[in-house]
Amino acid sequence: MSARSRFILRRLALTIPTLLAMSVFVFLLIRLVPGDPVRTMLGFRATPENVATVRSQLRLDDPLPAQYLTWITNLFQGDLGQDYISGVSVGTLISQRLPVTAELTLLAMFIGVAIGVPLGVLASQGRRFTRRVADGFVVAGVAVPDFWLGTLLVLLFAATLGWLPPSGWSALSDGLVQNLRYMLLPALALGIGEAAYITRTTRSAMVQVLGEPFVQFLRAKGLRDRDIVFRHALRNASMPIVTVIGIQFGVLLGGAIVIETVFGLPGLGRMVVTAIDQRNYTVVQGGVLVIATMFILVTLVTDLLYGWLDPRVEESA
Amino acid sequence: MTTGVAPALDPHIGIGVRVRRSSHVLGGRSGMVGAILLALLILIAIFAPLLAPYDPEHIDTARVLGAPNWAHPFGSDSLGRDVLSRVLFAYRTSLEVAIGSVLLAAMAGIPLGLVAGYRGGWVEGVIMRPLDMVLSLPALLLAVSLIAILGQGAGVALIAIAFIYMPILARVLRSSVLVVRERPYVAAARARGVTDTTTMVRHVLPNAVGPVLVQATVLMGFAIQIEAALSFLGLGAQPPTPSLGLMLLDGYQVLQQAWWVDVFPGIAIAIAVIAFFLIGDGLRRRYDPAGVTA
Repeated sequence: MSARSRFILRRLALTIPTLLAMSVFVFLLIRLVPGDPVRTMLGFRATPENVATVRSQLRLDDPLPAQYLTWITNLFQGDLGQDYISGVSVGTLISQRLPVTAELTLLAMFIGVAIGVPLGVLASQGRRFTRRVADGFVVAGVAVPDFWLGTLLVLLFAATLGWLPPSGWSALSDGLVQNLRYMLLPALALGIGEAAYITRTTRSAMVQVLGEPFVQFLRAKGLRDRDIVFRHALRNASMPIVTVIGIQFGVLLGGAIVIETVFGLPGLGRMVVTAIDQRNYTVVQGGVLVIATMFILVTLVTDLLYGWLDPRVEESA
Repeated sequence: MTTGVAPALDPHIGIGVRVRRSSHVLGGRSGMVGAILLALLILIAIFAPLLAPYDPEHIDTARVLGAPNWAHPFGSDSLGRDVLSRVLFAYRTSLEVAIGSVLLAAMAGIPLGLVAGYRGGWVEGVIMRPLDMVLSLPALLLAVSLIAILGQGAGVALIAIAFIYMPILARVLRSSVLVVRERPYVAAARARGVTDTTTMVRHVLPNAVGPVLVQATVLMGFAIQIEAALSFLGLGAQPPTPSLGLMLLDGYQVLQQAWWVDVFPGIAIAIAVIAFFLIGDGLRRRYDPAGVTA
């Protein structure tokens, strides 16, 4: 077996226990609620019959391991349970909301990379002024909470200038332009903080790479600075940048919870927050499960990318 | 920004990156500036009742959404309450949650990281694997899930944040213990017959704890943002507890009529976060020049 396939297999094998542990946590979520989760969840509809039906549907009277087995078997068949408030299946809810969250985080990441990498590269070699600007941007971007930045963007672009709607959502299927008009501000709110982290990482990675002997060699060979920076140095600096992008996906998925609420986007994060407020535990469970799974898979992909970017990683694995 | 937990949350990222921090906005003085700023904020929180010009809960129907003026420099909110007074009181909650959550996390994370790093082997596996699992979830999502179980409130937010922070501190300490335990003085202590516990506590911990201090400071800054985010979502502090996050929620609802209700609490958060980051920056240069922390 080649080093590469060994590396990939090993990494896949590490992901499975993580997914399992996460599933146990999510499974326990409902069971750890103090008191009777079913009564709390059903609220005023908690007639003895309703309670008994839901208890038997959730198999709450079985021993825990048996409950888990039923739950995870259903899960693999695509059955995430039922929303006892609206009567819809949790799977349906998620399939409606997942695209919104996915689009938001991907757009935010795109904005983060589009600003962060060039700014970081500029700052790594630029003059004092560029470095100062980048420094200021990094400090401000990290210190300002994303959801507050969101409200400031609304204040500027919606309330004052009137260019974009302050909140709401339009499906991608109803036209890209309309969709982006609603998505732009939330994605910027999430993406600017992202850009700050990427700027910082790109800058320090580039500073380090530019100090390495091979760069001096390329200079001595007479290559133009621009070619050295973009063709050689940036590629060698890409590992830490990719790491940060992968890790930041978790932050974006977390940040989306708040940003979706600020902008009234019907995504997974807002679904979870609303569900917590309504004590709608099956929906909380489904939402947490899907968001956590996405993050674990993104981490996996990042690690695999690693090996591809730097074969030394695969060989040492 | 982002309710921003990642790179700082992830201690091992620094190892590969070997952050060469030339980003010292304030040159070598950042730690001192941050410390002064934080000391001021703590004094403000402690003496809020003396400093606040008005009762933060006093409702004044004549000043609903009143614009900033000399008597009310930050204006007043949708119930006519003085925004400046409310910000001063809200710093109490923010700082309590920030400092409290990190202390709580350190109480569990430091012993775990110390033992894991010092013992190694299966002990390390038993301690670190579950902690790694916790880190494999998005931090804010985990906090929100814990609140779903435990219920809403500033105290629960503090515990939830401590829970996400504990594995981070444990990991940072563990990596620094791995280096320190190989030092000759540790071997010398063992050779003299000093017990493992004493060696760990007296010789290893003091020499390994630097990066943890750096990380802890940065995490306090992020805790302020997380608390604000949770309160904004209605999952953290509940009224009438004064909280910057709740004030932002309030401000967001009247954004179009009265920007000051939203803008001043937000600036207050950013200032507190920056204070912690500056201190972290100063500590890092002293204790963690190699950049184990992010």
